[in-house]
Amino acid sequence: MLRTLLRLTSARIALAVLLAIAVITVFGPLLAPYDPLQGSDLTLAPPSAQHWLGTDYTGRDVLSRILAGAPLSIVSTLEVAGIALVLGAIPGILSVYLGSLFEWVSLRLIDTLVALPFLVFAVAMTALLGNGITQAMIAVGLLVAPWFYRVSRAATLTVARSQYVEAALLSGASTGWVVRRHVWAKVLPPIAITLATTLGVGLVVISSLTFLGIGVQPPTPTWGGILASDLDYLAQKPFAPVFPAALILVTVLAFNLLADAIRDAAGQSGRVLVGAKAARANRARRLAT
Amino acid sequence: MSTVAPTRADLLRHRVGRVSLSVLRPFAVFVPVFLLGTFFTFLLGHLSGRSPAYIQLGDAATPEAVAAVQHQWGLDRPFLVQYLDWLGKIARGDLGESWFNGHSVAAVLLDRAVITLSVAGVALVISVVAGLALGALAARFHATWLDRAVTGFATAISVLPPFIVGIALVAVFAVGLGVLPAAGYVPIQVGFGAWLAHLILPALALSLDTVADVARQTRTGLVSADRENYVTGAVVRGLGPRRIFFVHVLRNAIGPALAVLGVRFPVLLGGAVITESIFGLSGYGVFASQSAVRGDVPSVQGVLVVSVVVVVVFNLVVNIVLNRLSPAAARGV
Repeated sequence: MLRTLLRLTSARIALAVLLAIAVITVFGPLLAPYDPLQGSDLTLAPPSAQHWLGTDYTGRDVLSRILAGAPLSIVSTLEVAGIALVLGAIPGILSVYLGSLFEWVSLRLIDTLVALPFLVFAVAMTALLGNGITQAMIAVGLLVAPWFYRVSRAATLTVARSQYVEAALLSGASTGWVVRRHVWAKVLPPIAITLATTLGVGLVVISSLTFLGIGVQPPTPTWGGILASDLDYLAQKPFAPVFPAALILVTVLAFNLLADAIRDAAGQSGRVLVGAKAARANRARRLAT
Repeated sequence: MSTVAPTRADLLRHRVGRVSLSVLRPFAVFVPVFLLGTFFTFLLGHLSGRSPAYIQLGDAATPEAVAAVQHQWGLDRPFLVQYLDWLGKIARGDLGESWFNGHSVAAVLLDRAVITLSVAGVALVISVVAGLALGALAARFHATWLDRAVTGFATAISVLPPFIVGIALVAVFAVGLGVLPAAGYVPIQVGFGAWLAHLILPALALSLDTVADVARQTRTGLVSADRENYVTGAVVRGLGPRRIFFVHVLRNAIGPALAVLGVRFPVLLGGAVITESIFGLSGYGVFASQSAVRGDVPSVQGVLVVSVVVVVVFNLVVNIVLNRLSPAAARGV
């Protein structure tokens, strides 16, 4: 599946963008040309040779703040997706096997989590449990977990009722062996798709929270926080929100593109897609000679 | 095996059973949701370890004074007793008093809910109208460039986060063109135009996601309903295209789009936190985040309970509408 994935153009674009984001995340604070917390007299300056993206309301360099804010924004997004994956996918698979009581209870829990107004709850949880980014990530991870639960449960159900699994069980295979051998392979692609989508949504939610100032203290640079301070000075610098917004959008788009590419590569359509591409290339080569 | 012809009483019992099942099934799902939701909410407040004592007395309070305030608010009782007491009060419409200023939470929320529900309501109307129109357009011109354009547009707007759309809308319509107000709220009594002018931007920012979802579901539903035999049958019987569309196709195709609305509603309601802070509306979203930062537990719990109730009621309504529209859904088919 990985090889099929790499042959899709959309997957290559998505991975290239994500690689660039990863570089910014790892080296961003080192690349920053100025101290992201140090203000200057040059407030709300337009982009120039010294300050490529201009300065904000206390004269801090916007580029440096965006670069310095990258680790917090991206790493917390990864942690949100990780928490949701563990809290959602494992109960989702187990719900098929652990009997009807666990199934009923977990389904009601998931129904409840889905019915809660997402952002209000995330804000409340984060702030009440001691305004910190860790609390924010646990709250958001918990609220996103139902997606993984539903996807992995649906995929497991189809496998569990298939004839080859029945055959394996009849010939004496244990549940653990069936899960490892048959269920994993079928459940992984949908989980991978959900993971890519969740990463995109996670970034938006974390940015929304930091935009509201929830989970971080004021001078700490975050992408959402930069947007929030830009909003207050929209009249003086109407184009300021473009840079952080574009960065968030491009990252989210790349994650969504990756999700689509995995969806294509995992199914029958992926093989057809790649096959058609190879056939076109073959035909072109034959016509050329 | 002997077959006995069902008596009339059997049939009647069967029908009554079916109808009560279709009415009761949503409740079987939503009552646990409500109970669990309120329990989560209460547990959250309990876990926070916040106490009115520190808000009222400050950090320098003596342990005796803290204990006295705790006792006064009934916080020294066992957790489950407090929870059941709180649940009983909710049932009577009493959400307690704010630790911050002693105001009745229910009264404050009632004031603010008008703003939030106005935004969510306008967003819902935009979602339904624009979503259905786009979806119907794409289905009518299925597999043409127009279909691809609408589908692409839906994908594009569904990835735009509400707070970025909100900022962009303020920058363009309020600051750039100056045609719409950037912030604030005007009650509908002042004038429908002014009311709508203050709500249209936040509602638009909130609804894009849902518009895309409704459009996609409508398109898929219409396209697949169009292929059904009963549509061919209706054409053969010589029914007019408008009647076929509204009576045969739309009624059967609308189910998934309505179901999406039910799923999306919590997001519309929750998005209030963001849009209200961008557009300077003092609805319950802003109230929730301010109270949460202040550690005012009863206020936060009040907001969460009210939103859980609104979501549950909305989903019940969606279920009833779905059952009315397609009898098959009522039987759980």
